[in-house]
Amino acid sequence: MTNEQPIIETRGATINFNGLVAVDSVDFSMKQGEAVGVIGPNGAGKTTFFNLLTGLFFPTGGTIFFSGTDITRVPPHKRVLMGIIRTFQLVSVFDSLPVVDNLILSTHRISGHQESKRKFFFNDAHHREMEERCLDALKLMGIESKADVMTSELSYGEKRKLELAVALSLEPKILLLDEPFAGLSDMEICEVSGILAEVKKKFSFVIIEHKISHILDLVGRLCVMHEGKLIAEGPPNEVLCNSLVREVYWGKEEGLTCSV
Amino acid sequence: MKTDHKLMSLFKTGPGRSIFDVAVIAAGFLVLLPILGINRTTDFMIFCVFVLGFNLLYGFMGRLSFGHMLYLGTGAYAITLFSEHVSQNPLLAVLAGILAGALIGVILGPIIVRTTGACFALINLAFDQVGYFLVLVAFSKYTGGEDGMSAYFSKMGFLDFGQKPVMFGFALFCLLLTFYVLKKFTSSPYGVLIKSIKENETRVKFLGYNTFTYKWITFIISTSIAAFAGALSILNYGYVTPSFIDPSRAVEVIFAALIGGSGSLYGAIIGGVLYMAISNYLASYISRWEMFLGIALLICVFRFRSGIWGFVADKLKLRAAA
Repeated sequence: MTNEQPIIETRGATINFNGLVAVDSVDFSMKQGEAVGVIGPNGAGKTTFFNLLTGLFFPTGGTIFFSGTDITRVPPHKRVLMGIIRTFQLVSVFDSLPVVDNLILSTHRISGHQESKRKFFFNDAHHREMEERCLDALKLMGIESKADVMTSELSYGEKRKLELAVALSLEPKILLLDEPFAGLSDMEICEVSGILAEVKKKFSFVIIEHKISHILDLVGRLCVMHEGKLIAEGPPNEVLCNSLVREVYWGKEEGLTCSV
Repeated sequence: MKTDHKLMSLFKTGPGRSIFDVAVIAAGFLVLLPILGINRTTDFMIFCVFVLGFNLLYGFMGRLSFGHMLYLGTGAYAITLFSEHVSQNPLLAVLAGILAGALIGVILGPIIVRTTGACFALINLAFDQVGYFLVLVAFSKYTGGEDGMSAYFSKMGFLDFGQKPVMFGFALFCLLLTFYVLKKFTSSPYGVLIKSIKENETRVKFLGYNTFTYKWITFIISTSIAAFAGALSILNYGYVTPSFIDPSRAVEVIFAALIGGSGSLYGAIIGGVLYMAISNYLASYISRWEMFLGIALLICVFRFRSGIWGFVADKLKLRAAA
């Protein structure tokens, strides 16, 4: 595998929900280690595009490649094993379980070899080695003191961090973050983007975000979606100066200046 | 934090914890023995096995089945037909009952576990009705139809199941074994997996698990345990009737799981005992006793959401934290 081969690539990816074309022939590709931001107004198809990449929906047209392999019809759990990991727009953790239990499945999967099938059914989920690995993942996000708390008692920001901890413990090759900063306080945004800046050297990632200012430092390239189409992409400065982008994103005359 | 963790784990799991639980349950039924008498206690324990099997699917994985009598009935008829046509060895016959339950889980699972919610509940009921018809009408030549049929088992040394104490001991052993195995399962990563499926199946897929397979496995375990309970009942009564597969009785196990507290193994056993106590004793005083069961259920729904055991466990946890 050369570095030149795109880690993920779509050719004409389209999904048609009974007449509503949510994603319309999108050609997208990114290199190993790249960080891409996806922006666009509400309903532009950003999340649906993520759903296509991760396999929640299969496209009605076009193909999707991961490191050169056609994964258009590969179910979600297999894509996860390949290293395509995502988070959700609405924070998605298991409220009815203790915090540490949220990490057991991802941690077990990573340590998972054939011999661990038996362990999966019969070993105590809380044996020390497992617990330590889960705690390490929580430490990275600075929430290890909450390990034994019920997840439902966490604040929204802490749940975000927990979700990110789960995603990172799955050892992504490419991480897809769907509005990771939504609902966070300014301080929490700082913390989370700090963590992302730290780990982003290890893998490629794609971020959907509404507030462009939050991701400008993190991404090397911006993609703009509008009505299911990819209407512009390139370095952030260039994209933000693009008149078409300015029009769909901020309306005709207001908005950011070109010096962002 | 360390001590806090220890207190929490009192209600979680830990090595040696299962042994303790098994001992508590055994002691509980030995206490009930002189109060209820040997016949009823045996009955109660067998019903608890059934509730445990049902509760794995409902309480842990969040799939409510209205047709679990089918799996109980499968075990009951399998053990009877096995003793009639193959061998009267009681242990082999029980094993045949369990395998029949597993087989029906393997066959129906792929159809049933695709669904959730009301659809899941009703598709089980639909299959149960088919099963009831088959037993009652279509295959009445082999099943004895409405009259049912007797099952005879041979003695194996001291294992003479016609002797009440032997039957009691064996039923207790089977209940404890079921409990122990389920305890192992539910406190393993697999247990975390099915609880996670209960809450958000899509999310589990994005953790890299093929949820379909695990739902199927859980379904098979549940039908096997239900069939196990059915087989034990026949071993106990020596007679099978279509009431063992009657869909209208599905509500019994649902009530038991709800009253005791779904999502916990203790809850299943408490619910099983309580349901049996109400239905055995109240019925002899009040002719339409079901109304009181309904009231008990209403109280549970409004006051004790997580059932009696859930309520008690919460109280204990609070006290431990204080």
